Amino acid sequence: MTNNEITVKVEHVTKTFGDFTAVQDLSMSVRAGRIFGLLGPNGAGKSTSIRMVVNITAPDSGTIELFGRKIDNQLQDRIGYLPEERGLYKSMKVVDQLRFFAALKNVKGKDADVRIDRWLARLKLSEWKQKKTRELSKGMQQKIQFISAVLHEPDLLILDEPFSGLDPVNVELLKDVVLELKHAGKTIIFSTHLMDIAEKICDDICLLNRSEKVLEGSIREVKSSFGRNSVALRIEGSNGTLASSTLISKVEHHSDEMEVLLVADADAQEFLQQLIASGARVTKFEMIEPSLNDIFIEKVSEAQ
Amino acid sequence: MTKLLAVVKREYTQRVFSRMFIVTTVLLPFAMALFGIAPALVMSIEAGNPLRIVVMDGTGKLFGRLQGSLRNENEKPSDEVTPGTKNNAIEKAREQSFILEEAPMQGRSESEINAELARRLSQKEIDAYLILPANLLQSGKAQLFRRNTSDLFSTRRIQSALDAAIREQRLMDAHVDSKTMSDLARPVDFETTRISGSSSERDSGGGFALVFVVGFVMYISVLLYGQVVLGAVIEEKETRIAEVLFSSVRPFTLMMGKLLGVSLVALTQLTIWGLAFGAFGLYGVSLLASKGIPAAIPTVSPVLYLYFVLFFLSGYFVYSTLYALVGSIVTTSQEGGQLAMPIIILLVISFYLFLPVSRNPDSTLSFWLSMIPFFSPVSMLVRIVTQTPPFWQIALSLLIGFSSAAGLTWVSARIYRIGMLMYGKRPTIPELMRWVRQS
Repeated sequence: MTNNEITVKVEHVTKTFGDFTAVQDLSMSVRAGRIFGLLGPNGAGKSTSIRMVVNITAPDSGTIELFGRKIDNQLQDRIGYLPEERGLYKSMKVVDQLRFFAALKNVKGKDADVRIDRWLARLKLSEWKQKKTRELSKGMQQKIQFISAVLHEPDLLILDEPFSGLDPVNVELLKDVVLELKHAGKTIIFSTHLMDIAEKICDDICLLNRSEKVLEGSIREVKSSFGRNSVALRIEGSNGTLASSTLISKVEHHSDEMEVLLVADADAQEFLQQLIASGARVTKFEMIEPSLNDIFIEKVSEAQ
Repeated sequence: MTKLLAVVKREYTQRVFSRMFIVTTVLLPFAMALFGIAPALVMSIEAGNPLRIVVMDGTGKLFGRLQGSLRNENEKPSDEVTPGTKNNAIEKAREQSFILEEAPMQGRSESEINAELARRLSQKEIDAYLILPANLLQSGKAQLFRRNTSDLFSTRRIQSALDAAIREQRLMDAHVDSKTMSDLARPVDFETTRISGSSSERDSGGGFALVFVVGFVMYISVLLYGQVVLGAVIEEKETRIAEVLFSSVRPFTLMMGKLLGVSLVALTQLTIWGLAFGAFGLYGVSLLASKGIPAAIPTVSPVLYLYFVLFFLSGYFVYSTLYALVGSIVTTSQEGGQLAMPIIILLVISFYLFLPVSRNPDSTLSFWLSMIPFFSPVSMLVRIVTQTPPFWQIALSLLIGFSSAAGLTWVSARIYRIGMLMYGKRPTIPELMRWVRQS
């Protein structure tokens, strides 16, 4: 599904608690059928923003639209929500618990049971169906919670730190499920402060820091706008160009290669030609992309 | 609506099939029966051995009268005023007889006899001895020596028997003939009859028991189920389920579902108790009677059951909305327990008010108490049981009760929806007020 349909549209939203501003004038758009990463350090306002999108709390000012409509309680049924703080009834059986959460989303009876069995099997929890929640490990409980968020096949799935506390095997399992859901056309908002995972699965990101949006866009756009214009380079032969080129602002030598930082508007292609013309043998020439982590750290420390 | 039903259903099934429900359902009637019967049972156990008392009668006139007086008391027919299981058993306990023996004076001095009796007492030949000095009829002091002085019951009986003996002897000394004496001492014939509407029934003493039981069951049910609501709300907050739930249901729906679900659990339990009580009235009493244990259960009209349920619901919703409010603004159950203290105190007061109300059910105080929603469930029910007030008063009390419950639900719901998502610092009262006003 490639379209420019907007699933969630947040406009100029502000939320305060007493004299603490949790979210300041936030605007963002989540495109349909994509994975939208809501990133930011702890306390940046991610969870508060999500709560407003899910209609658990109302913004002080600004508007939130879902599927082209102003948010209301009916629309809640089209959202699946996995909050950061997990919560399950400890003394309820897994199956009863899932039936209850399904019923709260108007999925009942046989339909609910079929879906529960399918999801328990998918997340390898079938044998735990009749067990009480308290007997399950933390990771298993988390997967149960995830199931409760997707049982009603929501069009919009909101996952707040879905991978925290999971072992690598389960992280992979859940990541696959999330990508499957994306391919099935669901829109996914994914909140985390773990940049490596965000980098792997997000299409678009929005970075929050200290209650405000710092940047927004597709991962591609964000990265290229952050291109520090540096090249990982390994050459044999002439080093003369490196010393003389006006395109270079700085050279850092690593063990067997070097990182060359070009001047602001320099064209890397031109630099490569210079190198070849000088007779050097280029064995590695790679444009270095900043990692999401670099961008995150730079943006966050910039603000401090 | 379907979501509300889902919440109600979960709340109901999770609780009715829980161990706690089964235990309290069985235990409470059992505990109440125990409280009712135990004192009588315990006393009847003690009644086994008669008390052996030696009397040194310095006056030479009192021993016979004392013996007669103690025996007389055992057979006193006027004690029939209050039968019923408990009292009958107590009567039996009273039949604990005394074996009286007169210490021969044989010219010995008082202190000689005293010493000899003290020896016999310490060797457990006797249980007590009573010294009546020669001048007792004029001014002296009688002394009772016992190994066990904590048995006030027997001590008091000996004292009153001695009182009676001395009174008779003094009258005799004043030349009052025995006919006049027995006329003077004849107890009054007393009978209580309860008039309600057209019918009148002789109060068998079960009346007070009924008032107590009704008041107590009402109090304990409201308390118990209020605590259940408190626990349920805190559980959802403590485990952070509230946030997940709020992404599916409105806070008001969740709170109402909880209150309704728990109220159905309570009604289930009360129905079981009601049926058990009814069955006991039908079969248990006759069964006990056939085994020689007279038990009287006051007749309870079906209307009373209906009123009980209505006033229970009114009280339950008034108190449990407060419990829900408290549950939503605290973070741990310990904190909840502390903050719920004022509610519990209010409930305890409402229970103890059954005393003044049952003593004077038609007073202005009783009227106003039965109109205040926090007190009306116990007060009005006690009034209905003792001296049924006009119907308009009952209706008005219910109307006030349910309207207050609705108002409190509204206020609590507004605090609940915010409180359930707030952790850490407990909100102050001005903050709570702001939450209520906030749209």
